[in-house]
Amino acid sequence: MSTPVVGLIMGVIFGASLVLTGLTNPDKIIGALRLKDFYAIRTVAVFLLVGMLGTLILDLFGVANFSIKPAVILTVLIGGALLGTGLGLTGFGPATGLASAASGRLDALVTVIGMIFGAHVYILIYPSVVVPLERILNFGSLTLPQITGASAALWVVPIFAAGSLTLFITRSREQQYDEQRMRAGDLEMNEVFPFPLSPKPTLREKGIYLKSDCLNAAYVFRQWKNLLFVVMLLCLLLLQGSFWLVSTGQVDIAENSNTAAPAEESPSRWLFGFDVTFERLTSIVRIANIILVLTSVLYALIMYFGLGISFKGGLGGLAHICGALYMALIIFVLLLPWQNFFGPITMGATYTPGELARWCTTDISDTLGMVLFYLRFTGYWALVMLLLLLAQLRSFRWARAIVR
Amino acid sequence: MTELNSRTPPLPWWAAGILLGLVQVLAIALVKPMGVSKQFVVADGRVLDRVAPEYSENHPLLSDEQYKKFGYGWWFNVGIVLGACLTALHLRTWKVRTVSLWWKRNHDAPVLLRLIAGFCGGFLLLLGARLAHGCITGQFISGWTQLSLSAIPFTITLFGFGMLVAYLVYPKAPNRFRREE
Repeated sequence: MSTPVVGLIMGVIFGASLVLTGLTNPDKIIGALRLKDFYAIRTVAVFLLVGMLGTLILDLFGVANFSIKPAVILTVLIGGALLGTGLGLTGFGPATGLASAASGRLDALVTVIGMIFGAHVYILIYPSVVVPLERILNFGSLTLPQITGASAALWVVPIFAAGSLTLFITRSREQQYDEQRMRAGDLEMNEVFPFPLSPKPTLREKGIYLKSDCLNAAYVFRQWKNLLFVVMLLCLLLLQGSFWLVSTGQVDIAENSNTAAPAEESPSRWLFGFDVTFERLTSIVRIANIILVLTSVLYALIMYFGLGISFKGGLGGLAHICGALYMALIIFVLLLPWQNFFGPITMGATYTPGELARWCTTDISDTLGMVLFYLRFTGYWALVMLLLLLAQLRSFRWARAIVR
Repeated sequence: MTELNSRTPPLPWWAAGILLGLVQVLAIALVKPMGVSKQFVVADGRVLDRVAPEYSENHPLLSDEQYKKFGYGWWFNVGIVLGACLTALHLRTWKVRTVSLWWKRNHDAPVLLRLIAGFCGGFLLLLGARLAHGCITGQFISGWTQLSLSAIPFTITLFGFGMLVAYLVYPKAPNRFRREE
């Protein structure tokens, strides 16, 4: 699996989460090293604990790919010291430096250039300096459980306790710090605890608070709306893709699993390294259907709440969100599997695997039949897709109108 | 968007930690623990391969197979740059900045000094990371998640020197909640 594509995807995920977590901000790192700002410490503590637990669980299932670094104590000590010096000087680590440079920090960019020079010097001194140094105190790739003979789970317990203790200690300080600031009247309106400062807000202040609250809520709703949109889009694409796979004969439909000889493997296709059979496609279609219907409900609900928020807070953009709400409702109605309730009278845009198999196995020769076939599976789908895109466009306009 | 918003981390600490932890678990399940710093050496080695082929051929490190091609790790780094850039653009925090708040508070003006410090820091970062066989991601995080022995001395000196140097370079703490002008 160590292909460039997987590397690129993992890198994108890691870089995105580095920016999302704010560790690319050198102020956070320096604040952590100076023990003034515990955000980074707490984040990294949770990071370690989750990573360790997850690795332990993966190891239990035997799917963990370990890569233990050699324990050359001397060079690790020296390297840690140099790395610590660089970290304390700049506030960037190698990964966060890269991510930070990509998010516009010029000092991080210079740090990355410095890192390239560091790599060059490392290459230059490797034969003469590093090779002899690595002979000293080299224990090879060892893990703590291997040395002590205790199982990995036993090691996780004290480390977990230490991590929790760290979280506990930093928590109390963080609260004290905020309380001090609040008492000193040092917090501004946009801050975390605005209300205790003015116990009896005037009417105008109330309006401002309400509006900013509504704006914050609108931000949250916008994020969720976009997430749901992406999920729905993916599900729709999956459904349509599996329809085309089946209808063009790329995937053979298993006729009847009871009568088929069990020894005979049904022929399967390899797509992007995945073994696609009709059974797997069936489960994919089922899952996509469930997710699609659920997310369409949530999508419409979020539109409704967005309408309420922009109405209550006087944020504007009501026309756009109303249109988006109606479209979301129509999408929901169209997506429901009506054919299961009303039989041949009406049908929904989602199809069940059995239905797909039935339609594909019956021989359709006349033009009308073909048109109906593609209308049912592609035309209907295209209608829903169009509505979804329109709804997203309208709600995007709404978001732009209120954030303006 | 004010500077205040761009400084407030987008996620709360627990969600951030869980997110990063899950990324690490995913990396371990799919390929191997994450690591960043080795690819700088690989990139440099590729350049040396072009410029001075016989030098890199006889070099004990660069002649090694895993330093010879741009593979998974290299694209991982490219992905970090790409993902960070896209996310920052999406969050609208993409902004050209040169100095951090702590730097401003302690050494108020000079941008040039910050850049020089950044360069020296980057130099030390990568030299140290390669000597220790891994950077903060590769040795500290991945080391502890795999419970490897080398993580213990690394952690001690990393945070010892990190805190010492941070104390020397940034003695004064900025007012955390004041806006950056």
